[in-house]
Amino acid sequence: MLDCGMHMGFNDDRRFPDFSYITQNGRLTDFLDCVIISHFHLDHCGALPYFSEMVGYDGPIYMTHPTQAICPILLEDYRKIAVDKKGEANFFTSQMIKDCMKKVVAVHLHQTVQVDDELEIKAYYAGHVLGAAMFQIKVGSESVVYTGDYNMTPDRHLGAAWIDRCRPNLLITESTYATTIRDSKRCRERDFLKKVHETVERGGKVLIPVFALGRAQELCILLETFWERMNLKVPIYFSTGLTEKANHYYKLFITWTNQKIRKTFVQRNMFEFKHIKAFDRAFADNPGPMVVFATPGMLHAGQSLQIFRKWAGNEKNMVIMPGYCVQGTVGHKILSGQRKLEMEGRQVLEVKMQVEYMSFSAHADAKGIMQLVGQAEPENVLLVHGEAKKMEFLRQKIEQEFRVSCYMPANGETVTLPTSPNIPVGISLGLLKREMAQGLLPETKKPRLLHGTLIMKDSNLRLVSSEQALKELGLAEHQLRFTCRVHLQDTRKEQETALRVYSHLKSTSLMAR
Amino acid sequence: MDPECSRLLPALCAALADPRQPLADDTCLEKLLDWFKTVTEAESSLLLLQENPALVELLSHVLKSQDMSSRVLSFSLRLAGTFAAQEDCFLYLQGELLLGLFGEGGPQCWAAWSVPTVRSGWIQGLRSLAQHPCALHFLADSGAVDTIFSLQGDPSLFVASAASQLLVHTLALSMQAGATGCSGLWDGVWPACAQKIMGHLEESLQSTAAPQVTQALNVLTSTFGRCHSPWTETLWGQLCPLVARLLERTPIPAAHSLVDLLLSVARSPALSSSHGRLWEAVAQALRCLSPMQAGSLALGMLKLPHCPQALRVQAFGVLLQPLACVVKATAQAPGPPGCSMWPPGWLDGAEGSSLTVDTLLSSKSACVGILCQTLAQLEELQPLPQRPAPWPQEPLLGAAVTILRLCHGSATSSSSGGGRLCATLAGCVRVQRAALDFLGTLSQETRSQELEKEVFAVLSEYLGSPDSSPTVLKKAFQTTLRWLLSSPRTPGCPDLGPQPLLFLRELFPVLQKRLCSPSWEVRDSVLEFLTQLSRHWGGQADFRRALLASEVPTLTQQLLQDPESYVRASAVAAAGQLSSRGLQAAPDSPEHPQAQQGLLGELLCILSTDSEGFPRRAVVQVFTEWLRDGHADVARDTEWFIATVLQVVSQDLDWEVRVQGLELAQVFLVQRLGQPRCPYMVALPEAASATPIPEVLQSLCRLRLFDFAFRALLDCDRPVAQKACELLLFLKDKTAMCGGLQEAGDIPGSASGQVTLQRWRAGEQGQLPGDLQPEAMLALLRSTDLEGLQARLAQSSDHMEKSPQSLLQDMLATVGVLGENEADCY
Repeated sequence: MLDCGMHMGFNDDRRFPDFSYITQNGRLTDFLDCVIISHFHLDHCGALPYFSEMVGYDGPIYMTHPTQAICPILLEDYRKIAVDKKGEANFFTSQMIKDCMKKVVAVHLHQTVQVDDELEIKAYYAGHVLGAAMFQIKVGSESVVYTGDYNMTPDRHLGAAWIDRCRPNLLITESTYATTIRDSKRCRERDFLKKVHETVERGGKVLIPVFALGRAQELCILLETFWERMNLKVPIYFSTGLTEKANHYYKLFITWTNQKIRKTFVQRNMFEFKHIKAFDRAFADNPGPMVVFATPGMLHAGQSLQIFRKWAGNEKNMVIMPGYCVQGTVGHKILSGQRKLEMEGRQVLEVKMQVEYMSFSAHADAKGIMQLVGQAEPENVLLVHGEAKKMEFLRQKIEQEFRVSCYMPANGETVTLPTSPNIPVGISLGLLKREMAQGLLPETKKPRLLHGTLIMKDSNLRLVSSEQALKELGLAEHQLRFTCRVHLQDTRKEQETALRVYSHLKSTSLMAR
Repeated sequence: MDPECSRLLPALCAALADPRQPLADDTCLEKLLDWFKTVTEAESSLLLLQENPALVELLSHVLKSQDMSSRVLSFSLRLAGTFAAQEDCFLYLQGELLLGLFGEGGPQCWAAWSVPTVRSGWIQGLRSLAQHPCALHFLADSGAVDTIFSLQGDPSLFVASAASQLLVHTLALSMQAGATGCSGLWDGVWPACAQKIMGHLEESLQSTAAPQVTQALNVLTSTFGRCHSPWTETLWGQLCPLVARLLERTPIPAAHSLVDLLLSVARSPALSSSHGRLWEAVAQALRCLSPMQAGSLALGMLKLPHCPQALRVQAFGVLLQPLACVVKATAQAPGPPGCSMWPPGWLDGAEGSSLTVDTLLSSKSACVGILCQTLAQLEELQPLPQRPAPWPQEPLLGAAVTILRLCHGSATSSSSGGGRLCATLAGCVRVQRAALDFLGTLSQETRSQELEKEVFAVLSEYLGSPDSSPTVLKKAFQTTLRWLLSSPRTPGCPDLGPQPLLFLRELFPVLQKRLCSPSWEVRDSVLEFLTQLSRHWGGQADFRRALLASEVPTLTQQLLQDPESYVRASAVAAAGQLSSRGLQAAPDSPEHPQAQQGLLGELLCILSTDSEGFPRRAVVQVFTEWLRDGHADVARDTEWFIATVLQVVSQDLDWEVRVQGLELAQVFLVQRLGQPRCPYMVALPEAASATPIPEVLQSLCRLRLFDFAFRALLDCDRPVAQKACELLLFLKDKTAMCGGLQEAGDIPGSASGQVTLQRWRAGEQGQLPGDLQPEAMLALLRSTDLEGLQARLAQSSDHMEKSPQSLLQDMLATVGVLGENEADCY
């Protein structure tokens, strides 16, 4: 099973996949060889503790080392919000998250892991977030590559996704930005810095709601560098506890960051910020400008919402939403332009502060997806994690450019791919010697036919001479002769008729040649 | 419907009908439908449509222009079905609208029909409306049933499954409608719709195409699972021969579904008199299905309370067969003792023996698959009261030990089959885990000394082996714990049995080694094991001796500094437990300077400095337990202890730590003031030990417990506020009888207290005056509407996400606003 995510938009059963489609009466573990998690985002791993500790999957779970380390932090955050805000009692617990993580087998990049006798997997660097990986899954000579989410352009802290020319039978790729050629990253960054700078210059406060780990670090590096360059003194804060945590993981997994960070790490750790300090609840009331990174990213609970409430009434302030928000959250409401929000207890909060949306998500755009297809050279491509209309456009592009079949099944739809698997066949030495004795050695450029009998014993196929086959199988040889009687009506003499038939057959066989 | 929602509906319907207005979030339509379902459950759909004509306009618009998005089309089909579930509303919509949406010339002719969401919406719409006889006629006359048949083979798993479920529902509804009289008995003639479905099922069961057979079997499985009316017996009578004929085919088609059907029929309470033919079919299936498939059927049969004895014997034989084969193949001498130990009779009729051996030896995956399944099935069966008797405990134990040895490589066999099994199972983690789980379950039964010795020996091998993977080790620890705790003791003697005692001597060196494992999972599992074991055996002399003679307590304390937060948390729990039992590391140990400051100091340090929540939470839990148990370190100066802990906890960013801090405060209050009053309890005089209330209040002021609780009352995290409310209510209740109080306003400090509370409410900082007197606190307590607050807090705080107005507003606000944002999920 590739990834085990959740849908943030629902608060009921629909948030998790319906695993009864795998089996209704049987044990899930009997139906799955393993679970592979591509990265720590909740839409890829959010249902994992539910799946392993509540639904009962007890088999192995594979992910990279950073994903194994960071996954529980996000799951824990999510659990706390579910229990705190929504008062959900029947939810996975901290202990369940831990027990689930203990079932994880962590893998290194490019390490071939043998899941069982038949199945092997291998992780490739995917960019996107720390520890994100693409996985090649191989059974015999057939293979599938699953990309998870990936980014083909390096950013300030991560490198670009890379895969070797592994020519899988199938490449399953995300297609979030199937039709987008993203505007220059620099433009987006400049825009972001300009907005933040302008706000603090006029004495306003900037709130940036983020998820604990991931894009937040990218934005921190961006602001830190800018502050340094411009010699700004306005304080920047990050939700307490998280800076240390993030630093810890980025230090621990420094090899997963990009080359620049790795190179400069000895002189200066890019994640030890000079200008960004830990936030204390009391700071929100401080006068004067400041920039605060606070969790959670959708403004639906906790610290970010608390700060938003305090600052919303002042038009000098600004909130920058760097990611997607689900319906019902304050983030979603303000992004859709709502300015009067009914909060708990029928209180109405008037939003006067400026609201900005600025995407910093690190997915491959259409060009990047095409680039990856070109790198891996798959026989077939399957698009997932995107919108049907946009996928359709990309599907056509891929089919035109690479001359491979491209599929885009809807959720729950089955795709059957024809493959021509290579089945190894051993040739008996006797047969090979006999053929060689005839003087015609087989060459790669000049293939030639070799006749023999194919026998299967203990799941192995061997080509042997028919005599040997008979001997090995203890069978007697029988000869069958097929005859056919044809009536010819000819008034001529028998010999003449025979001659005519002979010459006629001869001419047809010559023509056939 | 809420008037505000009613006001917003026309604009929303217009937006939905406009194909140029993309909706930002596909969950909105789902939530909108949820809301309509709730509304129609409470009030008349007909009235709703009449009062909100925009809804019918939307549905009519769908008919006229099909260039709408597939999501909106699907939504409209489901919405129409929801309304038409009420008969009067069905009649209202019946004319052109329902026929256009669900009839033959309807969506099947639309281009959007190729989108699975639309097909799914069509089925779900029909499923909703099929609630009354009018709907049944509609289904039969509109040709919908034929479309449902074809959708059973849909490439979309969701559509195919929904189509099957709709057939089940239609069949049941149809039979219900055909039933006569109050008894609900069906009068002998099948209603037309049911006949059609029956015909289709019969045809499918005779088909040579496996998918068609699977579809029919799945429909029947659901039918017998859900409907328990008398007509199901007739249905089975009619279809039983066809099902039996499937078992005669080679290979048997759709074996999994066939097993499900047989089990579903066997479980049906309506089929008591038709069981004869069923048992025949089951017996045949147990004989000719592959061991994997037969296993599930066998387990299902053994779980039935009314399964005939002969069939139980046959079924149990099927389950035992793989284990018997393993024991037989690995037995050293001819006439193996392992095999002869199986209870007589159980394996006699096991015709599948050679088939099982073939499966076991055919390939590694087959062997692993069947062993894991069998072990899990026997594990499931063991605790059930209807499990076969006598339960072959000893041979099963022998088999589990043998399998574990095979996996570990410590079993050898001279036979060729045994040799192959050794090679196949060596190092197989899946089988090791399954066998350890099974072995753990078997600890609940009586056992011989000899076998117990064997079990502990194999567990020792696993715990000590460097080859054991972390997941296997975790299971090995869990199994060990179960065996140790269930080990029989001599009556009247507190000592451990000889086997556990021997085992314990070997165990601690192993634990010592494992506590230093480079894998955090292993360190954590050992600490969890240690906590559990000391909780149960902390007072046991042999255990104490063995533990204290080892380095385990010292290592546990060292792990309080582990780099992995999960391990630190487990170390906190373990060290806390050991300390409670007087089993902590020797304080004068020169290697561990932290031990000098005492565990209490070290735990306080973790509580105030650890960057992760798990260890901090574990510390407060340990402190609460210590307070409850009267731990010496706490009892020395309880007030100082409480004040220090609460001060640190109140600053914690993790709301769960703050909740636990309140829990600790509550335990303290109960110790001082006595248990909370139960309204149903006979009033008893207060316990003599409870401290006089004014004295307690004085101490609460000194400890700043009031400050902590009142601040928590306004915490932005709901559970903290709830817990604080509970605590203060308890205090209010306990102090209700405390007389001699002046009006709140007259008490010094009370007014400033009120002001501080108001400032907190407004989200500002500040502290309650430090010198507040108990009277002022009490006045503050009484003047705060705690009951009202508790009621408010009991509601979920995400009303904004749940309320229909909010949903409608969000949907309307999004129209045309979001373009790029929607794709930007992370």
